[in-house]
Amino acid sequence: MILLRRKLIDLLAMLFASAATLFGLFWLVWILWTTLAEGAAAITPALFTQMTPPPGETGGLLNAFYGSAVMILLALLIGTPVGIAAGTYLAEHGRYSRIAGVVRFLNDILLSAPSIVIGLFVYEVAVRPMGHFSGFAGALALAMILLPVVVRTSDEALRLVPDPIREAAFALGIPRWRVTMRILYKSALSAILTGVLLGLARIAGETAPLLFTALNNQFWSANVNAPLANVPVVIFQYAMSPYDEWHALAWAGALMLTAFVLGLNLIVRLIARRTAK
Amino acid sequence: MIELMHRELSASAPVELPTKVAVRNLDFFYGKARALTDVELAIRANAVTAIIGPSGCGKSTLLRTINRIYELYPDQRATGEILLDGRNILDRGFSLSELRRRVGMVFQKPTPFATSIARNVSFALSYYERLSKSEMADRVEDALRQAALWDEVKDKLGASALSLSGGQQQRLCIARTLAVRPEIILLDEPTSALDPISTAKIEELIHELRTSFTIVIVTHNMQQAARVSQRTAFFHLGELVEVGETSQIFTNPRVQRTQDYITGRYG
Amino acid sequence: MQHPHTVRAFDQDIGELRGLIAEMGAFAEAAIAEAMRCLIERDVDAARQLVEADIRLDDMETEAERRVIELIALRAPMADDLREAVAVLKISGVVERIGDYAKNIARRVRRLPARGEIEPLSLLPEMAKIASAMVRDVLAAFLERDAAKAQAVCKRDDALDDFYESIFRTLLTYMMENPQNIGPSTTLLFVAKNLERIGDHATNVAEMVYYSVTGERLAEPQREDL
Repeated sequence: MILLRRKLIDLLAMLFASAATLFGLFWLVWILWTTLAEGAAAITPALFTQMTPPPGETGGLLNAFYGSAVMILLALLIGTPVGIAAGTYLAEHGRYSRIAGVVRFLNDILLSAPSIVIGLFVYEVAVRPMGHFSGFAGALALAMILLPVVVRTSDEALRLVPDPIREAAFALGIPRWRVTMRILYKSALSAILTGVLLGLARIAGETAPLLFTALNNQFWSANVNAPLANVPVVIFQYAMSPYDEWHALAWAGALMLTAFVLGLNLIVRLIARRTAK
Repeated sequence: MIELMHRELSASAPVELPTKVAVRNLDFFYGKARALTDVELAIRANAVTAIIGPSGCGKSTLLRTINRIYELYPDQRATGEILLDGRNILDRGFSLSELRRRVGMVFQKPTPFATSIARNVSFALSYYERLSKSEMADRVEDALRQAALWDEVKDKLGASALSLSGGQQQRLCIARTLAVRPEIILLDEPTSALDPISTAKIEELIHELRTSFTIVIVTHNMQQAARVSQRTAFFHLGELVEVGETSQIFTNPRVQRTQDYITGRYG
Repeated sequence: MQHPHTVRAFDQDIGELRGLIAEMGAFAEAAIAEAMRCLIERDVDAARQLVEADIRLDDMETEAERRVIELIALRAPMADDLREAVAVLKISGVVERIGDYAKNIARRVRRLPARGEIEPLSLLPEMAKIASAMVRDVLAAFLERDAAKAQAVCKRDDALDDFYESIFRTLLTYMMENPQNIGPSTTLLFVAKNLERIGDHATNVAEMVYYSVTGERLAEPQREDL
C-alpha cells in the first residue's frame, strides 16, 4: 500500500516537472520561432551592404554591425585584461585577506547592477564632461558590464586549479609570477575563456547603457568619438516606429543578434567538450 | 673450535651514515593549534627514512617543513631549527629557491602540469640553468630514465602529460623533481592513489634512488614503510614517539605505543 | 595489558592458535602420565592404545602449521604478534616430539616382564612428574605471556639431568648385581633417557616463549660441571 502511494507521488512529481519544463520550453520556442520567421524574411544581401535607412526606405544594418563590433571589441580590450588581473589577485593573493572578501562582494554587486544604472554612470563620467555622446563612452559602459563577469570567472577558474598543482610548482622553486603565468593560466585557460565569451554574449545585446552613451547614428560613421550606430539601439528605435521597413530591419537585427549569441554559446560548449577529454 | 662456538656472534652493527637533515626543537602551529611538539629527528644521508603514524599525527606537517612549502599559507608557522648540512633552513636568510632546488617534493595525487611531457620535466630546469636545446633534451632523458619512465614515453615526449596513466603521471612528477638534481626527495604518500603494480614500480624506484639521494617518505601503509625504508620514525599526536632501524621497529619496538600502532591495536 | 586488535577477527585467530597449543600441551602431558602408568602396571593393551592415539598429536601439529601460515599471509602480523605466531609454529613441533617420546615410553612397556618387581622402576615416576611439570609450566608461561615463568622452567632442567645421572648409576648397579636384570634395566634406561629429553625440549620451548614475549634471547646458563 505504501509502495503504491510512493509510486503515485513519484509519478505526479514527474508529471509536474515535465509540465513545467514544457511550459518554459514553449515560450522559448515561440520566441525563437517568431524571431526566425520574422527575421528570415528580412535577411537580404542589402542587410550587410547598406546603411540604416530613413523612414520609408529600405536599407541595411551595416553601420550598426560595424558600430557594435567596434564597441564590443573595445570593451573586450578594456575589460578582459583588467578582469583577469583582478581575478588572479583574488584567487592567488586574496585567499586569506579581508580586502579580498570585500572586493569579491563589491564585484558581485557590480555583476548584478542594472545595466541602465551603469549607463547613467558613464553618462555622468564620460558623456557630460566630453559634451557629446560617443562610441567610446558606449564601449566604456559595456566594459563595465563585462568586467565583473570576467573577474568572477577568472577568480573561480583559478581557484579550481587544485592546490597540489600550485604546491608542486612552488616546491620546484619556481617564483610566484612564473607559476601563475605559465602553469596556472594554462590549467585555467578554458574556464577563463568561457567566462570571457559568456560575458561577450551578454554585452552584445545590452541596450540600456548604450542609450545614454553611444546613442545611435543614422549614417555611416567610424568616429568613435561621436555617436555610433549599434544593433540593440537600432532594434529599439525601429521596433517602436510605425514604419514597416523599419520593423523588418528590427527583426533582422534581432535574428542576427540571437544567432550571434547562439554561436558564442556553441563555441563555449565546444571548448568545454575539448578540455573535458 | 669451541672458541669459535663460544664467541658471540656480534650482530653486524649498521654502518653509521652521516646525518643530512637534523630537526631540532621543532614546533609547528596551524594558527593557534599546535601540530608538532619539540621534534628531534636526524635523517641519514643516502637512506630512506619512513615516517608513520595515525591520521593527524603530524607526519605530513613535518615533511612540509623541510622544504618550507607551508609558507604558502600565512597562518602556518614553525619554530625551532632544521639543519641541512649544518645550516638552518628555517632561518630567514636561507634562500628559498636554493632550498627548493636542493629539496624536491612529490605529492599524494599526481600533479602533472597541463603541458607536454618533456615540458613538464624541463620547466623548472629552464628556470635554474641556461641550457642549449640538446643539453636540455639530454637532461630530460636523464630524468625520465632515472624515474623508470623513459621507455614508456620516449616516443611521445610532446604529448600532453595528462594523457598518461596515474602511475605514469606520478613517475613523471618524480622525473620532474629529479631533473633539477636535488639532494633530498620528500615523498608524501606517493602511492596511496595508485594501483598495486604502479605502487610496486615506484617502490622499486625508491630503492634504486636511495644510493644517490636522501629520501623521506610519509606513508600510512606500514607494510610499505617496512618494505622501503631503512629507518622508521613513529609519530603520534604531534610527537616523535620512537625512531630506529626499520627491522627493529617492526619486529621488536621499544615503546608500547609504537607496538600498539604497528600491530593494529591502536584505538 | 594488551589492548585487543581493532580487527576483532585477528584476536580470534590468535586465540584459536593459542587454544590449539594448550590442547596439544594437555594431550602430551596426559600421554606422559599414561605412559608411566602403563609402565608401572605393565598394562600392555593400554600402552598400545596410547601409541595409536599419538597420531592425534601429529594432526594437531599439522593443523597448527597450516593456521600459522594462514595468519601470516592474511593478517601480516608485526612485532609481538609475529613473534608469537612463529613461536606457535616452533612450539607445536616441539610438543609433537614430546608426544613422540611418551609414545616411545609406551612402546617399551611390552619389553618388561609381565610380573615381578623391578627395583629401580620406582624411581621413574618421580622423574616423570618433574618432566611433566616442566611441560605444563612452560606452556602455561606461553599462554600467560610470562617470560619470568618461562625462565624459571629452564632452571629445573638441571634437576632433571641430575635425576637421570642418579637413575643411570642405580641401573648400572642393578645390572651388575644380576645378569638377568640387564634386559629390563636397558629398557628402563631408555625410558629415563626419554624423560630427560622431554625436559630438554621443555627448556627449548621456554627459550621460544622468552623470545616471543620479550623479543630478546635468553642468556645461556653457565653450568659448572660441563
